[in-house]
Amino acid sequence: MRWLLLVLAVATAIVAGVMLGTLRLSPVEVLQGMLGTGAPMQTAVVRELRLPRVLLAALVGAGLGAAGAALQGATRNVLAEPYLLGVSGGAAMGAVIAVALRAPAALVPLAGFAGALGAVALTLLVARAAGGRGDARIVLMAGVVVGAFANAAIMVALAGADASVVRGALWWMMGSAADASWGGVRGLALYVLIGIAILLLLARAIDVLALGEDTAAGMGVDVARVALGVYVAGALLAAGTVAAAGLVGFVGLLVPHLVRMAGARTHRTIISAAALAGAALVVMADLIARVALPPAELPLGAVTAILGVPFFLARLRRLA
Amino acid sequence: MRRTAAVSRHASRTRRGSARAIAALAVLALAACERAPVPAHSVVTDDFGDTIAVASPPRRIVSLNPTTTELLYAIGAGGRLVGRTTYDRIPAEVQAVPDLGPGLRPNVEAVLATRPDLVILYASQDNRDAARRLRAAHVTTVSYKVDRIADFARVTEALGRLTGDTAAARVTIDTVGRTLAATLARTMGLPHPRVFWFLWESPLLAVGGGSFLNEMLKVAGGRNVYDSLPAPSPAVTFEDLLRRDPDIVLASATTRAKMLADPKWRTLRAVRKGRVLVFDTTIVNGPSARVGASAASLARVLHPEAMKE
Amino acid sequence: MIVFDDVAVRYPHRELPALDGVSFEAPRSRLTAVVGPNGSGKSTLVRALVGRAELSRGAILVDGAPVEAASRRVLATRVAIVTQREEPAFPLGVRDYVGLGRYPHLGLWRGRSRADVAAVDEAIALTETASLAHRAITELSGGEWQRVRLARAIAQGGEAIVLDEPTTFLDVGHEMAVFELLDRLARDGHAVLLVSHQLNLVARFADRMVLLHRGQVAAAGTPAQVMQGEVLERVYDWPLVVTRDPAVGAPALVPLRARPRG
Repeated sequence: MRWLLLVLAVATAIVAGVMLGTLRLSPVEVLQGMLGTGAPMQTAVVRELRLPRVLLAALVGAGLGAAGAALQGATRNVLAEPYLLGVSGGAAMGAVIAVALRAPAALVPLAGFAGALGAVALTLLVARAAGGRGDARIVLMAGVVVGAFANAAIMVALAGADASVVRGALWWMMGSAADASWGGVRGLALYVLIGIAILLLLARAIDVLALGEDTAAGMGVDVARVALGVYVAGALLAAGTVAAAGLVGFVGLLVPHLVRMAGARTHRTIISAAALAGAALVVMADLIARVALPPAELPLGAVTAILGVPFFLARLRRLA
Repeated sequence: MRRTAAVSRHASRTRRGSARAIAALAVLALAACERAPVPAHSVVTDDFGDTIAVASPPRRIVSLNPTTTELLYAIGAGGRLVGRTTYDRIPAEVQAVPDLGPGLRPNVEAVLATRPDLVILYASQDNRDAARRLRAAHVTTVSYKVDRIADFARVTEALGRLTGDTAAARVTIDTVGRTLAATLARTMGLPHPRVFWFLWESPLLAVGGGSFLNEMLKVAGGRNVYDSLPAPSPAVTFEDLLRRDPDIVLASATTRAKMLADPKWRTLRAVRKGRVLVFDTTIVNGPSARVGASAASLARVLHPEAMKE
Repeated sequence: MIVFDDVAVRYPHRELPALDGVSFEAPRSRLTAVVGPNGSGKSTLVRALVGRAELSRGAILVDGAPVEAASRRVLATRVAIVTQREEPAFPLGVRDYVGLGRYPHLGLWRGRSRADVAAVDEAIALTETASLAHRAITELSGGEWQRVRLARAIAQGGEAIVLDEPTTFLDVGHEMAVFELLDRLARDGHAVLLVSHQLNLVARFADRMVLLHRGQVAAAGTPAQVMQGEVLERVYDWPLVVTRDPAVGAPALVPLRARPRG
């Protein structure tokens, strides 16, 4: 029953996302646009602007939701989120350096992706050097260290840069689904589906790992390898979403909480539901970003943060 | 039906737009009609409202604004430059002048190390502190904002008084004024296409109403679809652009190639029809002495037939 | 069933070994208890069994096969381990939690069979936790949580159960309940290996006791053999007497007030 509601929420969000915007389309026009039978302007808007954008937002949300759920389980920490392990810092660093060097626009997301991967690799290396194979706290701390280093690099890159570079870098860091294209959507779809599949495969092991590392070892879980698998798959998912839409915060942190509050218990359920809920959330956030303050567009990351902060305040009060 | 109404609206707005352009030229003309030659020691009021007295023509000038650097070369004072910003590229000789970093929040020590007797800053709040500290070190400091065509005339005249090259300044202002006037005269009667001037991809930035490029566009016989936005380079959304439906898109050569092939950009009528014209904005950093020639060349891009010969 | 054969463990950066030549057996149908003061190496034994501490000498054998040879998962189907502390991060349901005990059999992707469901039901019945089955594990009291953990271990289906300090934080009633359960498991044929500092409780339930002192076996045998005043005083470095109360039916250690020196 709850699954039905979730799927309905995603579908409604997608339909609303395609219907609403600077140009308002009726459901009939949307249908005509998709089938190609409507007026050329509407068909163009539906096919080339709205649909890719909405689908990109959905994929980004699914990837972030699933990654966040898996990481919270594997690290036994409900404050874990996909941008752990230096992903956000590394991605921002890669993208900002690309923007500062005035690389062609198509290369910036790739640079972000490479930066994210580099940061994750560095984090895991630092954790291993500190002796923390499988110890979640050491990995988390290594991620904080790498993230801090990346932030320093970003500040250096932006310090002497001219106005348009700073603007472009900031825009990227605030997140946006505006640069969606069908090629990008196809690529991200494959990527996100594979990533989520891997996490679902590890779901049962995550359930055991969530009981504690010693207990899990006693039950036959290869703690170091499973943890590593979740970190890498989660980080790759996050890096892919970052390459597609910049930094979109709070989704990976918030959505697993919502899903667990709604009664999801085992990680197979938690991860799947988080993917769906994340998709619905980001599609709605993108819609709000587009229609809140016309004709300007709010950054996607700002909308998700605005949605996330009151939720967390409420959560904090309940915990206290 | 909508077509003709649009055209007549174009025409009346064009007339109003050109009225403003003519007013700008009048300012230029006034500035050009200087009275008697001014003595070498002069007093100017800069854009921070500070009054500065210059006893004798400066020998070592630091210019931390690409536009004022170009203006100094135009009035013949370029040889006295001992410091510039990283972004100063024109004319080629400026590369030999020491690079003192970005113009905003300059390293005051580095500036002082060149022992200047005149420093020209960009008049933004970021530079107030630097202006104060340079003055405290007894270095004559003036701050100017050269963002609009009217600024060009005013600041060129002021620079002429500061450096003692008043005659050269007058000639520069005159030449530019004449070129602008000639271009405006040629384009006034032509139908003004609605233009989207692309600046940056992510975020999508356009030339807005507050930019001198917008003024140039008017002189060149075009109408900016974002004329109503007061910022010089506002961020706009693609859907909004789609709604405004420009006739022409102005962009650099590489951007043009990308746009013509990109299905998202092809949702714009102008792109589908191939009406993407090349005009490189990186050439024009600010309204310098080249602004007249640039406007003329832009007019040739927009109205190739009418501007021939 | 579980044999520790001359086991030695040395932690890096430590001068003295944590375990230095420990040998004993924990056979089926018996409750074997390892006791000793803090730092004697009791917990290291369990960690070595789980593979979290490396042996510098000797071997640990389960049914004759060294522990390193078998995969950890296969080992977990034979030996279930209840660690000292387990603080769940998420509110899993009790039945789901006990069901996780089947992980060593199911792995990542095998579906649950009827045998798996039966094992879970049996474990819940044995530990009398049926009334808790629908509660969340984060809502249980200390005693309830211990019983549920035991259920999970039983659900693993192995013949050996190893427990590290299972009654810390439990009150007298719950302590006794847990020990009665362990006793029943041993009678049913399991090899129960227990690490505990509760000498007196252990003495009443264990079939064999192993007294560790500074990583070595100071005494081993039946409770009557191990609970000797001299040895215990030396190991625990505190004046005490060992009494025999007929009502209790087992030797009991009673620590004395400190003797005034000199």
